[in-house]
Amino acid sequence: MPSDQGDGVDARSPKDRHGRSILSNTLLARPETPALLFLILLLAVFSVTTKGFFSVNNFIGILEQGVIIAIVGLAVNQVILSAEIDVSVGSVLAVCAFIYGNLAMMFGGNLLPLFATLAVGTAIGLLNGVLSTYGKVPSIITTLGALFVYRGLILLLAGAQVLNVPKTSRVLGLSDVAGIPVSVLLLVVLAVGFYWVSTNTAWGRNIYAVGGNESGATTLGLPVNRTRLIAFVLSGAACGLAAAGFLGQIGQLQATAGTSFELRVITAVVLGGTSIRGGRGSVFSPIVGALLVGVILNAMTLNRVPGTMELFVLGVLILLSVSSEGIRQRYLEKKI
Amino acid sequence: MTENRSEKAWTGASWGNPFGKLGRTTVLAIIFIFQIILTSVLVPGYFSVWGLLDATRAFVEVGFISLAMTLIIITGGIDLSVGALLALVSVTIGFSYQAGLPLGAASLLGVIVGVAGGTLNGLVTTYFRLHPLVVTLGTFALFRGIAFAVSDADAVSNFPQWFSVFGQYKFGGMVPAQLVVLVICAVIFWLLLSKTPFGRYVYAIGHNATASRFSGVATQKVTVAVYAIMGLMVGLAGLVHTSRIFSARGNAGFGLELVAIAIVVLGGARILGGSGTIWGTVMGLLILSYLQDGLSFAGVRGDIGLTIIGCALILGVFLNENIQKFRK
Repeated sequence: MPSDQGDGVDARSPKDRHGRSILSNTLLARPETPALLFLILLLAVFSVTTKGFFSVNNFIGILEQGVIIAIVGLAVNQVILSAEIDVSVGSVLAVCAFIYGNLAMMFGGNLLPLFATLAVGTAIGLLNGVLSTYGKVPSIITTLGALFVYRGLILLLAGAQVLNVPKTSRVLGLSDVAGIPVSVLLLVVLAVGFYWVSTNTAWGRNIYAVGGNESGATTLGLPVNRTRLIAFVLSGAACGLAAAGFLGQIGQLQATAGTSFELRVITAVVLGGTSIRGGRGSVFSPIVGALLVGVILNAMTLNRVPGTMELFVLGVLILLSVSSEGIRQRYLEKKI
Repeated sequence: MTENRSEKAWTGASWGNPFGKLGRTTVLAIIFIFQIILTSVLVPGYFSVWGLLDATRAFVEVGFISLAMTLIIITGGIDLSVGALLALVSVTIGFSYQAGLPLGAASLLGVIVGVAGGTLNGLVTTYFRLHPLVVTLGTFALFRGIAFAVSDADAVSNFPQWFSVFGQYKFGGMVPAQLVVLVICAVIFWLLLSKTPFGRYVYAIGHNATASRFSGVATQKVTVAVYAIMGLMVGLAGLVHTSRIFSARGNAGFGLELVAIAIVVLGGARILGGSGTIWGTVMGLLILSYLQDGLSFAGVRGDIGLTIIGCALILGVFLNENIQKFRK
């Protein structure tokens, strides 16, 4: 079975050529392991220091907050692995949520609004992807432009609108199976799906190749543009899906909804151990990262840290994780 | 023909070759004149010298930032943190004044914070060899976060009357003071970029960073300097902004990075680095700003401005990157 984390780590034999066991190879060398250890540490610290942190209800709350970030993160992770970026997800999520809300208020139900938002999200992702690959516009420009284009449209078209979504259309946000929220189950299914795709399809392998060494991938004849395009499409579709869960959870919507959501997602991805340079990272990075972000934001709320501090904390986390990536790079260069 | 075009820009933009340099800028100037005529015809009462001069007050701040953004984009970099840094500068001025610092000193402190923020971007980018896009995305959240945290969603607006001089004074009741400063800055940036070794290095880094390093250009120092210059211009813009709206709040400068990048790209700078001119940026500034001004004069809601500038940005880069093919 090929590995899912790039960097040439392969777990085909119980012992690799350096004689290390599978445990050290697959668990300790995984990109998301430092974040996972950090997560466990934080859970322990907050459980002791913060009143009300260690309870089933609070953990479910953290999961529910993190799951929206993680669903979009799974797809944005693929974009970042292919050495591109998508900063438009905050506005795309809001567009999809508005469409979901309006359709739910008009027609009710869950499936019709969901398919509509999936279609819209996919279309937006396709447009971002085509411009960023075949259109030769760097993805930061495409998606930064898209971030403002869609936000401007929402402010213009829905600035004064008040959305109250009926409870029956909020299945993805409200209902649960045996106490586990449906959105969490959905995330688990998606994560398994992404893992399978990443380890068993040509596209899943090409993402790492394209992101790790673009000219090498081109020389080998890999479909560089198409590989990245699919990642952008997935990112848009994930926004459509997440919008249903997001709106399902809060039930109401303002035109400013989802502002700085893209920062949460990117923080989750890079904090989870995916290299911002592309080519290195795990499918599970965004999930670990989203839980970390969720735990930190939750502990801040419980400790009565003002909500205005959130951006500051996200900024510090992004800078720390990309700097550690820079240090890792310097260390590797020195070793050679 | 990518190489050829960059070659032309990299020699042409610096040392004459008027056709290579002026081509794009001249076209933009013609577009701008047509735009003003068209707006004046379509929107009755729009055209007046007083009105056009007064409108500059709204975009001088983004003008300062666009000048410095031109240098950054020529080096192949980008700065997404400028809007957030402007808010931080504004909040620094307001809240250090409220805390008892004399307003003159508070203003100076604000500009220093701007320079420090820009230098931080440059240092982190060069030391860790990260792409500035990631670094400035992080500092975007960091600066805005500090601005929000310090101001705690509050605003300071009890400045003394003299403070309005930076953003509201007009020479002869016509020409806004900050417009004069912007014109002086544009000339300085033009001289810096086209008549000094520093300007040559800026083009060289954007053209080929590795080759420049091996040719003895202190690429890291030049890069840090370019981001520090951006910090200075953001500090200046923050001061003018605070004085103009006479209030310091944490949400100032929302979307400013988008507008500045769109202006520079429209002015003809390649987003991948190596080419771009100050006068192109000035034309980009005039076109985009008067477009917004005309729309708001015609009563179009301001929110659509974000959409239009976002489209202009994507379209600008798209044309820059793909027109070269036609030139083959």
